Order: sequence, then C-alpha cells, then structure tokens
Amino acid sequence: MSKQKILKVKNSDVNSAVNDFLKELLKSGKLSALLVPQAVPSKKVVFPVLVSDPNKLDANVFAPLLPVSTAKMISKITKFQPSDKPIGVVIHPCQIRALIELVKLNQASLNNIIIIGVDCLGTFSVKTYTDLAGKKNPSDMIFDDLKSNTDKREQYMRSACVVCNQPVPINADIIIGVFGMDTSKEILIEATSDTGSKIIEDLKLDSAKDVKKREKHIKDLIDGRTKKLEAFIKDKKKHVGIDGLTSFFDKCVNCHNCMKVCPICYCRECLFDSSVFDAEAYKYVKKSESKGLFKMPNDSLLFHLGRMNHMILSCVKCGLCEQGCPMDIDLMDVFIPTAESAQKEFKYHPGKDPQEKVPMIVYREDEYVNVGEK
Amino acid sequence: MLVWSDKMSEEKKSEAKDFEPKIVGFLCNWCSYAGADLAGTSRIQYPPNVRIIRVMCSGSVDSMYILRALLEGADGVFVGGCHPGDCHYIDGNYKARRRMVLLQNILDTLGLEKERVWIRWISASEGQKFADTMRDMTEAIKKLGPNPIAKKWNI
Repeated sequence: MSKQKILKVKNSDVNSAVNDFLKELLKSGKLSALLVPQAVPSKKVVFPVLVSDPNKLDANVFAPLLPVSTAKMISKITKFQPSDKPIGVVIHPCQIRALIELVKLNQASLNNIIIIGVDCLGTFSVKTYTDLAGKKNPSDMIFDDLKSNTDKREQYMRSACVVCNQPVPINADIIIGVFGMDTSKEILIEATSDTGSKIIEDLKLDSAKDVKKREKHIKDLIDGRTKKLEAFIKDKKKHVGIDGLTSFFDKCVNCHNCMKVCPICYCRECLFDSSVFDAEAYKYVKKSESKGLFKMPNDSLLFHLGRMNHMILSCVKCGLCEQGCPMDIDLMDVFIPTAESAQKEFKYHPGKDPQEKVPMIVYREDEYVNVGEK
Repeated sequence: MLVWSDKMSEEKKSEAKDFEPKIVGFLCNWCSYAGADLAGTSRIQYPPNVRIIRVMCSGSVDSMYILRALLEGADGVFVGGCHPGDCHYIDGNYKARRRMVLLQNILDTLGLEKERVWIRWISASEGQKFADTMRDMTEAIKKLGPNPIAKKWNI
C-alpha cells in the first residue's frame, strides 16, 4: 500500500516545492480545500488557514510553530456535519494523534478528510517564534539544522518537542518527509493509505529508490528522543508528592486556559467552569475556620487533578497547555510523567489505532481482579 | 505520617492516640447501601467514622468526587458497589474498577497513599461484610495517620 515518491526541490527551496505540490492537488480538484499552516499578513505567526483558491496558497508547512491545536480546528470543521467534499489537512504528528482521539470521542469526523502529515522538526513557543521571526526566517534555521544533522534548534524548542519520540506521522494518508533526505535536492512524498495513493498517483513524481538513509535517521532520532524522555521523567520526579505538587501549581491563577487550548478537553462547558463549586459566604468562612486560612482562588489543584483524570489517557503530549499558560507553569513536567505511567497501565497509545476504544468506556471481566478485594 | 511511637512529642502522641479518621463513603443504591442498611437493622456494631453518601451506582462516582473529598481533608474514601457481574446497570462496577486504577496513578502523582481509597463489593445481604470492611478500613487509615493535605491551605 505504501508508495514512496520523490518531490524535486529547486534552488534548495523546500517551501515552494511543497507549495507547488499542494497547489497541484487543489487545482486538479482532488481536494476542494486545504487546511495548511500559512503566515498571517503581518508574517509574525503561522496559523492554520483553510485555503480553497490555489493562487492564494502560500503554505509554510515546516514552520516550527503550533499556535493552536490543528486537531481542534478539524473538529470545529467536521463536528457539526462531516464534509461532503475532500478536505486536505496538513498537520503535525501530535495533532494527528489528537485528531484520532477526538474521532474516538465523537468530536470529529474523518469523512472526506485527507490527512497530510509532515515530519515534525519541533516547534517553538509563540513568543520565541515571533522574536526570531523579526530577525530571520525560523524555517531556514531548522533546515540548516537538518542539513548539518545538528540540533541547534533544540534551545528554542518547547520542552514537549524536545522529548517527543513520535516525530514521524502515523495514521496519515500522505506523508511529506524530510528526515534523512537531501533537502537541497529532494523530499519524500509517501502515500500510506489507499486514499493517499489515489491522490498522488496522477502526479508526475519519480519513485523513491533508496530510503535506507531516511529509516536510519528516523531510528536514530527516535532512540535519542526516547533517552531524553526517560531522563526528563526521572528529572521531574521532584514535582511529585504533596509538597512538590502544591508548590508546582502555586502560580496558577485558575484561568483554565490549559483546558481551553488542550485538544482533548472537548466539553462544551467544563464542570470547573460551571456553578457546581459556587457556595454561600458562610461556607467559605467555615472552610477558612477548618484550616485557619486558605488561598484564593481556591480549588486550583482540584481543577488540575480533575482535568488530568479526565484527559490523561488520551494526552498526546503536544504541550499546548504549557504554551497557553499565562503564568509560565511548566505543565509538561507533571503531565508527561503521569501520561506515561497511566497509559502504560492500560497499555494504551493515544492516536495509534482509530478502531481502538478509549480505555474508560471498555472493560474485561477478568481484569484488575485484585482491585476491590483485600 | 502520624503513627504512635515512643519518640513522638507529647502533643503528637495525644494527637495520634485521639485520631479518629474521617471517611467519606459512596455506596451504590442497589447493593452496598442496602448492605449498610442491613448492618444497621441487624444492630451490627461498626466504627462511626464513615459518612455515607448514597449514589445510584459505583460507576457514577467520578474520580473528581474522590479527589475533592481528599483535597478537602477526608482521611479516606470508600466506594461500595455490587459484586462484579451483579451491577444493576450491567457494567457500572466494572467501569468503576477501571476508573479506580486510573485514579491510583493520579494519587501517585499527588503523593497520597493509594490505600486511602478503597473500593469493595458488598451485596445487599452482606451486612456483616459491610461492618467488617468499615472496621478494617478505619483501622488501616488510623495506621496511615491523618491526611497530610488537610493542613495545606495553598491548594
């Protein structure tokens, strides 16, 4: 099923090669619209843009930035009614995983959605990106890095990306690959599903002959990142425990922005935004009397633990919660280790298998028999 | 952790001796609540440390309820459901069991002993088992000592 093709790059300009490829898909009518990362007129940031006019396409698919969850945008487009026309979505690997989770949770539809995954070179925080964009093109920086096989870009990358060991798309229809490719001459276009093959079959692309270099590059990258992830989890143990965790969330202003930007948190009205926890003045006084004092806004730890409980099994470790935090709390320090251990407990890999159900709605009679007995 | 020992200060000693754990119990309407009822009507004695809240099913106990009780200072939380296979709603207790496994992971992150949260299967005819379980749990929580979060005011 997998078909690997080569997209020729002229004058080392990967971006225009990719743009020509995407334009071709729009012009041929195989896609009626494309959701792509594209620079806004000020050129300060790159946002998902739904393009239908090929002449207006100016995508920047390798821009190291993830300002919002692309999966959530696809949920917005398809939740009310699935698309009747094919829409291509150019999307980071973590966002494909989030999209698959949203589909499982009935919050998005893959009907007529063509997933075009890109090799993820890591993303910077919005602030870092805009600061850099004033001086030079951040995309050039990461391609220089790729060419020299170095990781200078890591100093700018978000911590979630530095320890991400899933930088290659899974469950995509088409993959735009740069890892292990000589990007001054060519990049890889790989169809990984029947839908994907049908879309690229008419395009005049040469078959890829040798992808061993790419496979090795990916293996080395993933091995290196897995080591970093393990070290990260070990290092962040300090935040575990009552004293560690309460001081970790000390700065929280209870704005719930981490929940609003999280691709998995889909509830229209979160329990924590509702009036469930509203109480009469005397109850506040009573609570104060029980401890002598308490910090306000109250219940911020309950919010984080409750949210964690509801979404951690589907957490794709995209780090958007951390990027969205106005108080600069490094949320991934707590969420990555907990996600790893909880997902391991249920042998669940979010975003891996669209047919698999989320763990909290299924059960087996013969599992965890010790829980509930002495 | 506040377990009585000779090395404790006098103040702590008396605190540990007098420690009566507060336990919040979520009991399912169809089995455990009826079991507790039977314990009462049969005049079986058990420690009064548990504050019972009737819920329709152990599967309806969101982990949030348990976390809230613990963060507000409860020393233990008890969830009672029908025996596996006996759920009035077919599979609520199986789901409650899975949720408990997930909650144990969250409690690890929080740094609270997972022995503070119990889930047990007690049928409507098991008044004695309910009383025994309450006695065991009260003893176990007494050994663990008071919930350290109860004194935290910055949460």
